[in-house]
Amino acid sequence: MSFPSSIWKFTLAACVAAPFAQANAQGTPANVAIVRGTVTDSATHAPVGGAQIIAVGTTRGALTDTVGAYTLRVSPGTVSLRVQRIGYAPSQRTVTATLDGTATLDFNLRAISTVLSEVVVTGYGTQNRAQVTGAVTTVAGQDVQDQPVAGIDAALQGKAAGVQVSQNSGEPGTGISVRIRGAASLSASNQPLYVVDGVPIANDPLAQQLSPAGSEVPTAITGLDPNEIESITVLKDAASAAIYGSRASNGVVMITTKRGQAGKARFNIDLSTGIQNAATKLKLMNATQYVTYMNEGAVNDGEGIQFLAGVDDATSTDWQDAIFRNGPVQNLHLGLSGGTESLRYNVEGSFFKQTGIVIGSAYNRANARVNVDYDATAKFRLKTSIGLARENNDRIEGNNSDNGIVTNAIGQPAVYHVRNPDGTFTSTADTTPSNNSEVYSNPVAIGTYDRLPSVTDHILGNVEGNYLFNSHLTLTGTAGADILHDHEDQWRSPLVVGNYAYGVHGVAQTTFDNTNHYLLQSYLTYQGGSEDASSLTVVGGGSIEYNHEASSYLRGEGFSSPQFQYVGSAANLVGYDGIPTDNNLESFFGRANYSYKNRYLLQGSLRADGSSRFGVNNRWGYFPAVSAGWVLSDESFMGDFTNHFGQLKLRGSLGKTGNQSIPNFASIATYGSGSYGTTPGIAPLAFANPNLKWESTTEWDAGIDYAPFHGRLTIIADYYHKSTSDLLTRRQLPCTIGYCSFYDNIGNVLNRGFEFGLNSENVRPGLNNGFAWNTDFNISFNHNEVTKLNADQPVSGNNYRDISRAVVGQPIGEFYVLHFKGVDPATGDAIYSDTRINAGSPQPKFWGGLGNTISYKSFSLRGFLEFSQGAKVFNLMRIFADDGGYAYDNKFTYALNRWQHPGDITNEPRASFDGTSGARTISDRFIEDGSYLRIQEITLSYKLPGGLFAMRGLTNARVYVSGHNLHNFTKYTGYDPDVNSNGTSNIDLGTDYYAYPRARTFTLGISGEF
Amino acid sequence: MRNRLLMPAILLGFAAACNGPLDVTSKNTIPTPNAITDSSSARAAVAGMYHGLQSLDSYGETIPEVGDLSSDNAEFSGTSTSYGEIDDNQISTFNTAVLSQWAQSYDNINRANSILDKMGSLTNIADDTKAQLSAEAYFVRALMYHDLVKYFGDVPIILHPTTDPNAGSSITRAPVSAVYDRILEDLDSASARMADSSSTTTASAGAVRALRARVLFYRDDYVGAEAEAHAVEDDFGYDLAPNYSDLFTASGNSTPEDIFKLIAGVKADQQSYLSYDYFAKAVGGTYLLRPTRDLLNAYEAQDLRGQWNISFAGSRRYGSKYRSITGTENFPVLRLGEIILIRAEALARNGHLPEAVAEMNKTQARANATLFVLGSHTAQDVIDAIVAERRLELALEGDRWPDLVRLGTAATVLGIDPTQTLYPIPQSEIDVTPGLTQNPGY
Repeated sequence: MSFPSSIWKFTLAACVAAPFAQANAQGTPANVAIVRGTVTDSATHAPVGGAQIIAVGTTRGALTDTVGAYTLRVSPGTVSLRVQRIGYAPSQRTVTATLDGTATLDFNLRAISTVLSEVVVTGYGTQNRAQVTGAVTTVAGQDVQDQPVAGIDAALQGKAAGVQVSQNSGEPGTGISVRIRGAASLSASNQPLYVVDGVPIANDPLAQQLSPAGSEVPTAITGLDPNEIESITVLKDAASAAIYGSRASNGVVMITTKRGQAGKARFNIDLSTGIQNAATKLKLMNATQYVTYMNEGAVNDGEGIQFLAGVDDATSTDWQDAIFRNGPVQNLHLGLSGGTESLRYNVEGSFFKQTGIVIGSAYNRANARVNVDYDATAKFRLKTSIGLARENNDRIEGNNSDNGIVTNAIGQPAVYHVRNPDGTFTSTADTTPSNNSEVYSNPVAIGTYDRLPSVTDHILGNVEGNYLFNSHLTLTGTAGADILHDHEDQWRSPLVVGNYAYGVHGVAQTTFDNTNHYLLQSYLTYQGGSEDASSLTVVGGGSIEYNHEASSYLRGEGFSSPQFQYVGSAANLVGYDGIPTDNNLESFFGRANYSYKNRYLLQGSLRADGSSRFGVNNRWGYFPAVSAGWVLSDESFMGDFTNHFGQLKLRGSLGKTGNQSIPNFASIATYGSGSYGTTPGIAPLAFANPNLKWESTTEWDAGIDYAPFHGRLTIIADYYHKSTSDLLTRRQLPCTIGYCSFYDNIGNVLNRGFEFGLNSENVRPGLNNGFAWNTDFNISFNHNEVTKLNADQPVSGNNYRDISRAVVGQPIGEFYVLHFKGVDPATGDAIYSDTRINAGSPQPKFWGGLGNTISYKSFSLRGFLEFSQGAKVFNLMRIFADDGGYAYDNKFTYALNRWQHPGDITNEPRASFDGTSGARTISDRFIEDGSYLRIQEITLSYKLPGGLFAMRGLTNARVYVSGHNLHNFTKYTGYDPDVNSNGTSNIDLGTDYYAYPRARTFTLGISGEF
Repeated sequence: MRNRLLMPAILLGFAAACNGPLDVTSKNTIPTPNAITDSSSARAAVAGMYHGLQSLDSYGETIPEVGDLSSDNAEFSGTSTSYGEIDDNQISTFNTAVLSQWAQSYDNINRANSILDKMGSLTNIADDTKAQLSAEAYFVRALMYHDLVKYFGDVPIILHPTTDPNAGSSITRAPVSAVYDRILEDLDSASARMADSSSTTTASAGAVRALRARVLFYRDDYVGAEAEAHAVEDDFGYDLAPNYSDLFTASGNSTPEDIFKLIAGVKADQQSYLSYDYFAKAVGGTYLLRPTRDLLNAYEAQDLRGQWNISFAGSRRYGSKYRSITGTENFPVLRLGEIILIRAEALARNGHLPEAVAEMNKTQARANATLFVLGSHTAQDVIDAIVAERRLELALEGDRWPDLVRLGTAATVLGIDPTQTLYPIPQSEIDVTPGLTQNPGY
């Protein structure tokens, strides 16, 4: 017996249980009856282990053991027991148990599709998949674990139909874009609403002021440990999401964390360690190629030679090698769960440590979670879900920054050394090479001297009480909090010669941000009728949510010594800010589900939201939804359909949702501060719109759930049509009245598409000598189109190069640039169209994932492919790295295919030092195909034999080795086509401006249970 | 029974809470009706008006930069499309820099209009305070309308704030002459109300006269311009700074030459980008634009202004007139050097050649440039020399392009189509103001 583990178990269990011990003793009722029985498979008569038995209308439940047996304590009398188990149709029967007596009740379960028997979390309740009438996708917790990424959103990539996950950047711990059924909003958030254990979390991006990079804003979800996740349910169609009303138009991601089960304490450990390296390197010129190319450009334009061949290219530095490194990634997760029938606990702690593949970057996260379920009495039960997270994120300036390490490693020509002979970093102040007039800062110096750390503390917790009036009626009350403290510092050292900080003798910034979100909600649930005849479930209640955010910011410049790195030592306080802001939401919601013989399913819901963000004339919004399902295969006229062809359900839904992620106070006319010198001043800031309201989305969905071959194949397919209107845009005003725009609800966007998910148990486990094979596949097609804008005026993105816009008739983010017609064979000059054209969409035509898991006895092999087709990427790096030699930046090697002599046929314009060839003109020459097929994961795992370790208390031990992002098949010439350097922008999509490269990771892990 | 009451009680609790939590007030903005209510808040609004003038879209960056970028003084050396178009004098109607300049000018006008309206309606402010604050608002409005008319020609005249989002339906362009009439009327209003302040960082009596000299000069009223410039030079105690470089030190020191300059501050929304945009990357700038080789060659080697205004990082020249990379130096809007050259050119055009040459020699002498000698030169020779001297003296201060347009030589000097001498009205503006016509050639 392992001595330390028992200590652990004892200590943790004692800590958790102590406060409840007394209450537990008081809460146990004296009069009990016992029901025993076994659960077997109706076809094979094999025992069904792990099935859940619930006394309907009570908190009492039990699990069957490995031989299918269960024992359940109930109150004497007639009780209904319900059995459910993934892969089987649920069953409910009644039995009469006498005081102190023992009754017997056996169940025969019919095997059905595993997928269709899942429990889905629907918001203010759960449903069995068989009853679901909307479009929802579930992802099991285990599918997002053992992934060498910091957040669950990244782990979701390719796993769920209709959910598009974009990494934006490979930097550890940074933000991910999640788009459910396409993006609709131009200025409000397009991220889904995350609901963790029933509490919506603040989904506005963190106020990270110190990173100039668009994509590197973490989402509030980043701090959750994937190991804590039991399941993820994505509510995709409006009818499913409408219960969350004014925040639901981007879909809702319901996250449920793991909870304890009654039984002896189980201690589990997951430990993994891995190594990451850069998956790809850009093909950039070496010193000789660079010197040749630059000199040729200078000669072409009648300028003098810029570099001395044979001198300046004597050595050649690979700057990418200089900034890349092998980065270890480690994860340790410890969990303890168990409890009595009335008090169940799950306590977890974990530590995740990732060293970035680019010098200077790292991400560490520590998590703790305590989930307790306490059935105080037969009528009252209490549960708490409390998660704590701390993230230490050593970020680097990256995307969209000219001071970034990656930026400068790509930009810096190979003719420079990393260090001088005396060990100091080379810089613009040096005299070699010959032409040193305009270079980038030394990226290794940036990585060595500059810092950009952020520390985030996240408390996410709630207490939920349930009172069961009787077997039909339950009252649920929840108090929840989501508290986020973020502290960031930045130091830009004057030792990095050639950048802004060098000019001003150092820049230090610091910011504190405190975001608090509190929720109070209560709702009543009525469950009546019988599943065999007609049943009705009604939920109704209300909630109130308070959001408060306060932040402060300081920026100082001018330091007497690089020893000083904090604002307090600065000579000049250059920037400062300090703003509290609030917004509150009041809601009422109701939903009814009616089912007749489990064959005809009907659901209706209504939510009313009142938001402080809306104008006084539109304070309350109402969001109705209806949906229906028809289990066609259960109809008698279908005869033996189910036996021959499997379950078949048709679904249809229609609903309305909103998006209230608009700025606070956007509806009123205001003056803001605007000081002149040291004189405090005020100036007009915003133009009033008392009619301002939420964006509203109306969506219909038609779907089919089909599970032929006795549930071994499951197909879930949906077509949706999602029309968003009252789009919140900055409506143009005549600037002559002093304001150029104000927020108004003008504009429509249409998303329509098709989703297809398939799960196939090609070879079912338990047969064929321990051989099993499972395939999962999903693919999503989405068509995005702007259908109306104010006065048909295109809306430009934020990128000052003005390459992306929203324009009627095109997808959001359609590139709008000159068209490159080719290179004139006579002159070598680039030829362009006279006017700009719609030059391609950054949105993919389809995307998805394909996974295969093959197991044989103790071995299991999993492979997962992720793909995206049809998106265009604007490789903005090329405006410097393929510009003919106008900038001194290093160049992509394909620029060597340049025109050199009259008659040359090529797509690369001639080298041109003064830009006369037109190579540097921004055009669709820089737009590339961003389609890809990625070998995202290959994992081989081995389950250790029980006999060897069982006596030491170790069970379910598993060793695995895996590789992630092993190869990406793509034509894209940047690091990775899954990129967006303007990650938080809704319009600037698919741009790559020196994005942090994606890592390839190899991991070795072990997990086990005591 | 107790339990049965629980749920209704909770729901009632929510109902009672209705709307209370939904009325949230902002803590960093003021609702507009509560903004200007007394003398203290009116003074704050006047400071806010100067804040607008000093902002990047106004004098902190755009106005001084495009004035040289459009001309033969400066050229585009960065990656901004909008500056590229301005440099090439091929401005699209979607040009963002032009839109910024247009929009911020009218924003500043709206700040002035809002103050003037409140000065008319508020009764709790002393008359002398009202007069002074109104005078400053009239001055700023005149300055902005003059900048607009120089670049865009006919422009709408807006004199009152509005809350109507559809106000654009009744806005049309006023002819250049009407705009000039309005400017002069505002300057008269400013003169009548302005206390004789010696401030150089807010509007003063001297600044009103100096602007009047400039406005009359641009309107080809050389007699008026000469008289106004004469008064400014003689009556207010201004004097040329001893050294040209004193005007543009990074610390933004005061000089006797200052008539009206804007204070830049260390805070981000008070910084100027003039140095940041002109400086080469090797010295910490963005190198968005740079002086042309033509301007470099126009300076004599010993001309201190050329030595100050243009520097080199390796083999690349960059604009070094503004030296505060942190953007904190004060920017001159009206300085005596300009007024002297206005007086010089007006004198020449009025036939007073020796006096004209004497005026011109004042700035030349300070710069260590070769002094122009009248000799047998014709009036046109003298005028041409003064125009050339203006280019050297005021380089990178945004005067060259308006000068070329004023003189009617933009097309020949720059080799551009004459229709390009007016900037386009931004298309987005025309979209919401149907009454606005576009300038020819766009």
